[in-house]
Amino acid sequence: MKLLIIEDEPALRTAIQQYLERQGYVCEVAADFREAIHKVNEFEYDCIVADITLPFGSGLEVVKELKHMSSRAGIIIISAKDSLEDKLQGLELGADDYLTKPFHLSELNARINALLRRKNFDGNTSINFNEITIKPTSKTVFINERSITLTGKEYQLLLYLIANQHRVITKSALAGHLWGDSYDQAGSYDFIYTHIKNLRKKMLEAGGEDYIKTVYGAGYRFG
Amino acid sequence: MKLLTRSTLYFLVIMLPIFAIGAGYLFKKFDKEIRHETDEELVNDKIQWMRYLDTAKVDNAVLLLKTPEFSLTPTTAPVQKKPKLKGVRIFQEPENSYAPFRELSQVISFHGQNYLLVMRKSQIEKDDLLKNIIHVMLIAFAGLLFFAILFNFIISRNVWKPFHISLEKIRHLQLSKLDMPQFEQTNVHEFNQLNDALNNMSTRIAQDYTTMKELTEDAAHEMQTPLAIVQGKLELLLQDDTLSEEQLKAITQSSDELQRLSRLNHNLLLLAKIENQQFHFTERTDMAAVTEKYLQLFDELMAEKQLAVEQTIQPASWQLHPALADILVSNLLGNAIKYNTHGGSIRVSLTATTLMITNTSDHPEIPPAGRFQRFKKQEVSHGGASNGLGLAICKKITDSSSLNISYHYQSPFHTFTVTTNS
Repeated sequence: MKLLIIEDEPALRTAIQQYLERQGYVCEVAADFREAIHKVNEFEYDCIVADITLPFGSGLEVVKELKHMSSRAGIIIISAKDSLEDKLQGLELGADDYLTKPFHLSELNARINALLRRKNFDGNTSINFNEITIKPTSKTVFINERSITLTGKEYQLLLYLIANQHRVITKSALAGHLWGDSYDQAGSYDFIYTHIKNLRKKMLEAGGEDYIKTVYGAGYRFG
Repeated sequence: MKLLTRSTLYFLVIMLPIFAIGAGYLFKKFDKEIRHETDEELVNDKIQWMRYLDTAKVDNAVLLLKTPEFSLTPTTAPVQKKPKLKGVRIFQEPENSYAPFRELSQVISFHGQNYLLVMRKSQIEKDDLLKNIIHVMLIAFAGLLFFAILFNFIISRNVWKPFHISLEKIRHLQLSKLDMPQFEQTNVHEFNQLNDALNNMSTRIAQDYTTMKELTEDAAHEMQTPLAIVQGKLELLLQDDTLSEEQLKAITQSSDELQRLSRLNHNLLLLAKIENQQFHFTERTDMAAVTEKYLQLFDELMAEKQLAVEQTIQPASWQLHPALADILVSNLLGNAIKYNTHGGSIRVSLTATTLMITNTSDHPEIPPAGRFQRFKKQEVSHGGASNGLGLAICKKITDSSSLNISYHYQSPFHTFTVTTNS
C-alpha cells in the first residue's frame, strides 16, 4: 500500500511517515502544494493524507485535482482548522475523512486502515491476525473459526488495536477513538480498562491467545 | 416620541398663540368698525330728530317719549354743541341679562327749553361677533392641525423613505452572514451623506470582522500545528522498547497534558467564535435527539459510576445551532457525570421549552459569583480533566441563542436548567 503525505511542517511530516512506515505502508511525502500536485499527477497512491494550509496553494485544491483525475485514492484531510465549513467543504470536494490537529498517530493509522479496506475491497475482506478473523461487513469476530460476541465498543476497540498492532497505544487515544470529542467529559479513563478487560476475557475464553499487553504507565500494546 | 409627533407638537405650540393674537386683533378691528358704524347712525338719527323737533309743537307727544332707544328729558344744563358717545350696558327684561348699547347724549334746546336727548342703539351683535370669531378661528385651527398632520404624514412617508430603508437594512444586519448591505444614493443630500457614512462604516466593520475571524482561525492553526508535532513525536517516542516504566509514564502524562492544552485552546476559540456570532442558525434543532444521543454516548460512563438515570424526554425543537446544541448538552451531562458520587443519580428532563439536568454530588454549591465565568474552577480538582471553561461555554451558548441557563442547589442535588425564551 502506497501513501502520500502532504504536510509542510517537516517535524510532523516525518513523525507521520515514521509511524505509518512501521505499520507497513510505503510512504512518500510532499512538502508543498507544487510538489503535491506533481506527485499526484506522476504516481498512483492508495491513500493521500493532505494538510489544508500549504505553501503555494491549498490542500483542498489537491483534493479537487485528484477528483478531476478520477483518482481512486482515498483522501484524508488533516487540518488545524476545525470549523464546520472547512470540514464540510473538504468532504464535499470528495475527501473521505477529516482529522483535526492535533491527532493521535494511531488514530490516523486506524482511519487509513479502515479507508483502504473500504476503498479496495468494498469492505468485503476479512482482517486476520493469527487465530483472529474479523469480517467487517457483518461485524463478526472469529477465534479459530469460532464466533465470539462482542459489544459495539469492544469490536471497535479490537479493530483499533489490530490496526495499530505492536504499537503502544495510550488510553487517551483509545478514549478519543471510542467516544470522539466528548470523551474528555468523562474525567477519567477508567472505563477503558473495563472494556479492555472484557475483550481480553472473551478472547481468552474462546481459546485465543492474550495479545493485549498492558504497558505500565502508558497504555496498551496489541501483539 | 416620533419625529413627526414632535414637529407637529412644536408647530402647534407656535401656532396656538399666533391664532390667539390673531383672534384678538380681529375682534378689536371688527368691534371698532361696528362702534364706528353705530355712532355714525346715531349722529345721523340725531340730525333727523333735531330737524323734526324744530318743526314740532310744544305739546308734541314726542316730548313725553321715554324708551331705552330714545328719551328727551328737560334739563337746566347748558346746551352742548357736540353729542357725547359712549358704550353702556342695559338690562334687557326678556332675556333677563345686560346687553351692550351705544349711547348718544346731548343737551339741546328748542322752544326756549333745554332738553337732554339720549339715543341708544343695541349692539347685541357684538357678543355674536366674538362668538363667531372664536368659532371661525377654532375651525381654522382644527383645519390647520388636520392638514399639518396629514402633510407631515405624507412627507414623512415620502421624504423619509430612504431613511427608513437604510434603517431597515441596519436592523437586519448580521455580521456572521457577511453580506454587508449597500446603502443606495437618494435624491436628498442629507440622506446621501448618511448613506455614504453607513457604507464606509459597514465596509470597515466587515473588514474588521473578517480580520478578526481569520485571526481566530489562524491562532488556532498556529497553535494546533506545534501541538500536533509534539503529540506525534511523543507517540513515536512511546514506541521505544528500551524505555523504563517511569519514562513511559512521563511521556504519557506529557501527552495527556498536551491534549488538555489543545482542548483549552479549542474551547477558548469556541468561546470567541460564539461571541463573534459565528454560529448563525435560523432553523430548529431536535433537542430530544441530541439529548438521547448523549445519554447513549455516556451510557457506559454512567454505568461505570453506577448512577441511577431517570429520564423523561418530550419532543422539543429549539432554535439553536446543532453544533452548539451538542456542546451544551454534552457539557451539562458530562458535568453531571463527572462531579457525581459513585452510586449517585442523574435526572434528565426535557420538555418543549426546558432542559433540566439534576445530579447528586458531594461538592458544595457553586457560588453565584463567577458561576458561569471562565476559569472559575470549583475548589476540588477532578482528575485534571476540568479546564474551567465548560460552564462559561454553556452560558455563552445560551446567551447567543436566546436561551436562559440557571442553577439551583438543594443538597445533595445540583440542577442546571436551560429554558427557551419563547
